[in-house]
Amino acid sequence: MTLMTPTRLVQLLVLVVLLAIAAIMHLKFGARSLDWSIVLKALTFYDEGSAQHNIVMELRLPRLIAAITVGAALGLAGTLMQGVSENPLADPGLMGVNSGAAFFVVAGLLVLPENTMAMIPFLAFAGAIVAATCVLLNAGTDPDPVRLVLSGVVVGALFSALTSMILLLDQQGFETLRRWLVGSLAFESAAARWQTLPFMVFAGVIALINIPALNLFRLGARPAALMGLNIQRFRFSTILAVVLLAGSSVAIAGPIGFVGLVAPHIGRLIFGNDYRFLVPASPLIGALLVVTGDMVARVAVRPLELNTGIVTALVGAPIFIGLVLRRVK
Amino acid sequence: MIDAREVTDSRLCRRKSRNVHYLIIMIVLVILVGICSISLGSYAMTPIEVARTLFAATGADGMMQKIVFDIRLPRILLAILSGMAMALSGVVLQVLTRNALAAPGLIGVEAGAGTAVLLAMIVWRSSLPVELYPVAAFVGGVSVALLVAALAWNRSLAPLRLILVGVGITAILAAVADTLITYGRIGEVGSALLWLAGSLHRADWANVRSQALWLMISGIPVLLLSRHFDLFQLGNAVAASRGLDTAKLRIAALFLSVMLTASAVANVGTMSFIGLLAPHAARLLVGDRHHLLLPLAAMIGAAIVLVSDTIGRTIFAPLQLPAGLVVAVISAPYILYLLSRNGASR
Repeated sequence: MTLMTPTRLVQLLVLVVLLAIAAIMHLKFGARSLDWSIVLKALTFYDEGSAQHNIVMELRLPRLIAAITVGAALGLAGTLMQGVSENPLADPGLMGVNSGAAFFVVAGLLVLPENTMAMIPFLAFAGAIVAATCVLLNAGTDPDPVRLVLSGVVVGALFSALTSMILLLDQQGFETLRRWLVGSLAFESAAARWQTLPFMVFAGVIALINIPALNLFRLGARPAALMGLNIQRFRFSTILAVVLLAGSSVAIAGPIGFVGLVAPHIGRLIFGNDYRFLVPASPLIGALLVVTGDMVARVAVRPLELNTGIVTALVGAPIFIGLVLRRVK
Repeated sequence: MIDAREVTDSRLCRRKSRNVHYLIIMIVLVILVGICSISLGSYAMTPIEVARTLFAATGADGMMQKIVFDIRLPRILLAILSGMAMALSGVVLQVLTRNALAAPGLIGVEAGAGTAVLLAMIVWRSSLPVELYPVAAFVGGVSVALLVAALAWNRSLAPLRLILVGVGITAILAAVADTLITYGRIGEVGSALLWLAGSLHRADWANVRSQALWLMISGIPVLLLSRHFDLFQLGNAVAASRGLDTAKLRIAALFLSVMLTASAVANVGTMSFIGLLAPHAARLLVGDRHHLLLPLAAMIGAAIVLVSDTIGRTIFAPLQLPAGLVVAVISAPYILYLLSRNGASR
């Protein structure tokens, strides 16, 4: 078995090229379409005086970077989670991460005094971790998909009920937060990206180190243990990485669902089940999905925007159903 | 499940009478809680005053009479009736799927009904009179139920597929609802959100009449079908050998269940967990005999909604919390406990 056959390498390269194309289109299209030449010129020779260059560099480029980061984080989180739970339907969004984050953000901003919008990333991160811990403690690392999905649904419902309560008691707060609550990249801030970067890098390193373990674990927990895999450490580190990635992405862009579910499956269609390719490929695919979704969200109802989270849910949920119909008998 | 034929006669009798006692206790409890709930609120009354106003209309304080009959009584009746409808709907769905975790909220029926009403409230505001909201909810609920059932159908209705497909469809509908909530006008969205959260604040006699009517139309057939449900639960082959047309029963049960959920959604909004919680609690008390299970689950459902609504409107008074949220906060930990116990026993 060779490490990198030429075909695999080409496939990975094609993904990178596709992502680059999507990224440039993301910069070009929007409330106002720009010329290709202007986009290229803004990227290479930035002129601060030009309004169109400003649009590209100050408005669209940060958003593009956020979309790529979030997509990559979600894609990787989904792959790791499906690997460690041996469950093809696992998705970080199904762990109640999103509603946990939403609850902490709403509670933090509206109930505690003297908080500003700048606190959103911290709060979202904390909420995501709390909710994920609740679900995982409840579902354990049981491969039973129903228990995981239902625990996620119930924890999610609990947190959304608490969120709704606060929002109903504070109508003005609802007006300011209702865009964030459905996941929009329009709210991303550079600060959030820098603060979450160390966590994401750490999680990425865990993923890379765990590639052989992930491949071994496909045999099942018992054979993997017999072949010398430290199951406890593997499970703990992988789940830690998933929670960090999911928390970071919620902190940057609000709740964006189903990317973590769909990206690994597209990866499997292309590369098969080998995690040496899935781990690098699924972040690329996830980034591609979110960038495309964000573009659709901005172009579909010009000059208004749809929320990115809504677009990914509308595309991802049917794929989830398709997977259920194929995989679950 | 204990097979009754193996139990001796005297024990059977005792068990039966004890089970009937549960039902009577629940009914009395609901009435008592109802009277206490009428007495609570910004204009405080003693339960005795309430009882006097309720049962001896002559000579009572006019002010008190107005508060009791125009404001608090319809709300409490609506809580009881909608709780019954949701609990019955849950039992029927659980029989249908032979799965104790199937609830109208989990397989997308509530989301379908809710989205339909949301569309009626926000997008086509003036085209539909309020009285027809139950019809919109019913159309939405039935179409989603049929869609989920059709997608999950694989020679038979596997509960696992049903629930997972339901979760997927619910996610799509939630995205649609989110779009409406994000881009609707804030005034309409505020009231829609309140309604979605399961609120009884708009309860009046029109709601009570509509809920009572729908409960009678679809609840009484459910009670009459209790023996068929007992048979159905033994498995398709056994049920068919005893002369039960399982296909027809399935379709009838699905329609009745959706009708019950839809009427409750249209009148009080979504309260996902009643359909899961009330049947489960009732099953703990009386087991799987549906002629007792159905009415007991209905009374427990009524009690949960009534208590939740009372808590919701008094705890932060004068602000009111929707009953659905109180229900969710109370019942989610219980369901998580059930899930973890289910897993451990396997």
